[in-house]
Amino acid sequence: MTAFWVLAPFMVLAALGLVLARKAVHAALCLAVVMISLAVLYAAQGAPFLFAVQIVVYTGAIMMLFLFVLMLVGVESAESLAESIPGQRIGAVVVALVFGALGVVGVAQSVTGAVVGVDAANEGGNVEGLAALMFGPYVLAFEATAALLITAVLGAMVLAHRERLGRRLTQREVAEGRLQDYAHHGTHPGQLPTPGVFARHNAVDTPALLPDGSVVETSVPAPLRARDQVRPGDRSEVDAVARELEPGEDPR
Amino acid sequence: MNEIPAPVLEWDLIAPLMVLGAVAVVGVLLEAFVPRGPRFVVQASVAIGGVVAALGTTIWTATRTDVLDGDVLARGQVAAEGALSVDGPSLFTWGLLLVLALLSMLLFAERRLGGGLSAFTGRAADAPGSSGEAEATRHRLEHTEVFPLALFALLGMMLFAASTDLLMMFVALEVLSLPLYVLCGLARRRRLLSQEAALKYFLLGAFSSAFFLYGVALVYGYAGGFGLAEVADAVASRTQERPLLLAGVALLAVGLLFKVGAVPFHSWTPDVYQGAPTPVTAFMAAGTKAAAVVALARVLLVAFGGAEWDWQPAFWAVAALTMLVGAVGSIAQGDVKRMLAYSSIAHAGFILVGVVGATGGDGITSVSSALFYLTAYGVATIGAFAVVMLVRDASGESTDLDTWTGLGRRAPWLAGAFALFMLSFAGIPLTAGFIGKWGVFSAAWAGGLWPLVVLGVLVSAVAAFFYVRVVLTMFFDEPRPDGPLLAVPGAMTTVVVTVAAVATVALGVMPGPVLDLAQQAGAFVR
Repeated sequence: MTAFWVLAPFMVLAALGLVLARKAVHAALCLAVVMISLAVLYAAQGAPFLFAVQIVVYTGAIMMLFLFVLMLVGVESAESLAESIPGQRIGAVVVALVFGALGVVGVAQSVTGAVVGVDAANEGGNVEGLAALMFGPYVLAFEATAALLITAVLGAMVLAHRERLGRRLTQREVAEGRLQDYAHHGTHPGQLPTPGVFARHNAVDTPALLPDGSVVETSVPAPLRARDQVRPGDRSEVDAVARELEPGEDPR
Repeated sequence: MNEIPAPVLEWDLIAPLMVLGAVAVVGVLLEAFVPRGPRFVVQASVAIGGVVAALGTTIWTATRTDVLDGDVLARGQVAAEGALSVDGPSLFTWGLLLVLALLSMLLFAERRLGGGLSAFTGRAADAPGSSGEAEATRHRLEHTEVFPLALFALLGMMLFAASTDLLMMFVALEVLSLPLYVLCGLARRRRLLSQEAALKYFLLGAFSSAFFLYGVALVYGYAGGFGLAEVADAVASRTQERPLLLAGVALLAVGLLFKVGAVPFHSWTPDVYQGAPTPVTAFMAAGTKAAAVVALARVLLVAFGGAEWDWQPAFWAVAALTMLVGAVGSIAQGDVKRMLAYSSIAHAGFILVGVVGATGGDGITSVSSALFYLTAYGVATIGAFAVVMLVRDASGESTDLDTWTGLGRRAPWLAGAFALFMLSFAGIPLTAGFIGKWGVFSAAWAGGLWPLVVLGVLVSAVAAFFYVRVVLTMFFDEPRPDGPLLAVPGAMTTVVVTVAAVATVALGVMPGPVLDLAQQAGAFVR
């Protein structure tokens, strides 16, 4: 019980932070706090296997995937917070509070007695007990989970996999094509400039600057440009940083 | 270390599920190994063959179940270590689901309507309207994965209707939902609408699953077990900690009523039914509702039958609201698919009237009346959506109700079939819908719920007025000059419309055999 009362406030705060955080990375970190606390609660309640699984699978694998995706994509799209139904947000908060209060009252009225049954369940060992349940009474549910996993993989493939229709171009053909473009249209044959060089940030959404301080539009990936998510970073910002570094002296 | 005893699985009883699961997995393998040219035909044949095989196995299993001794009629037994109850209602629902799925698979396989391509997008990863999408159409790509996905959803529905253990029920709920989320987003036309539908369905469905799971946890806390029989014993014997039970029942009901599509958990229905590809809408509207209603009835009557005075008033309110909102909502719709969605909400209300009308513990009359209603509703729904697939213009299906004006003069047979399904929805005598409504209302009347029955009849009258108005505009108004083209019906859709129309009339004129089957199904076995 002690572990619960120590961890529960943290978990509630982190869960609130998960919902209310403006930045996706902060929300993900709050989620990590919730998951780790949950794992500790499992351990405190005599379920070492669940504890390990929670840490390895959720905190380890799933959580890190979350963060990887957030950092690789690096897109912080501002959510539209306009309400399409007037009063919806207040209504939702009120209903959620009433619902929460009802749940707390209901559970608190009932859960008064001592905890029983953990020792009996863990008698032959925690992992062995789980195995006996999983391959005994719940074997069909366990097998049905296979259908669930196949569906998940198949669904992900259907939604995300682009079947290649044409032939894959060889490296030589790509190079020749680029030079043809250069010869006929004057397109620059090399790579596009990398983002963020000579700028205040080196994030993908910060454009590179030319030596004269002007912005190189093509240095920001096209999807970000299309979504208007290019961070304004021109000469004046560089100057501002320079002024901070050397106060009282104009860098020009 | 203790020896873990090997689980006993009654293979003969769960054979239909095994056949279906195996065929779905084979479908996934075919996807990998069959070349693109013949793949669509192969996948469609395998899926249809698999459903037929599972239907045959279900009939074989049904003939092997014995009538149990006891004061109420019941047959079958609990199988698979207490996870499933292969009893009369389960077997009837399995048969019904497989027949409905067979019709839906024919709609899935229809390629004559969209210029030789199926109703599903060629390459779902392409952004709507992009050059990649055009390229995929030019190469005549088709997503054939829809067949195994639909079979997995069907497997989930069958498990859901039969599970007698809350844990199994949750896994079944996910197995049935996950493929449907994906399928909803795969429409070939109006892809943004389709993707929006899939996302809405996924988010709201995930919420409702979470409610269901929390309810399972609370009920486990109350009863100390997941089996519906254990819960029933606890409900009968324990008097303390009642709030825990009530909270558990309420949360479980949220998850189940969401799948049934009952008010106030109905708001996803119109958007999802409208956005999803029409064959998927037909499959989902008919199949999910059947599976969810049977699962709901099983949970309420088997597990919580002893506490019926606690949950019944809430369900009366839900049933009344569902009928009202569904019927009134369908009047305001200008889109055929949305109209059918609201009508499916209203039907959920009518079925709920029958389900909560249960008297005593066994509820045979309510279960059998609900089963018959689901049959009548499912057949007419699939037929109606098949007709929607046929009324097209240059940009795909023409679902605006205005464009259907005068359809009866240009395509009397097609409009006649649609009118028949509408009349069945309205519950006009000599159609299946009438017998269905008669059944649920008389079950509720026997249970003493006369206010709900009176309300139901009034709402039916309102709905009938609207359905008849649709029929009248189809037949007695002048066709619009810019009206929709009628696609040349492919063999598959023609078969589906014909079968659905014949079944709707047959169930209305000679309901005897199916009614007998539903009544012979008897009570749930715990």
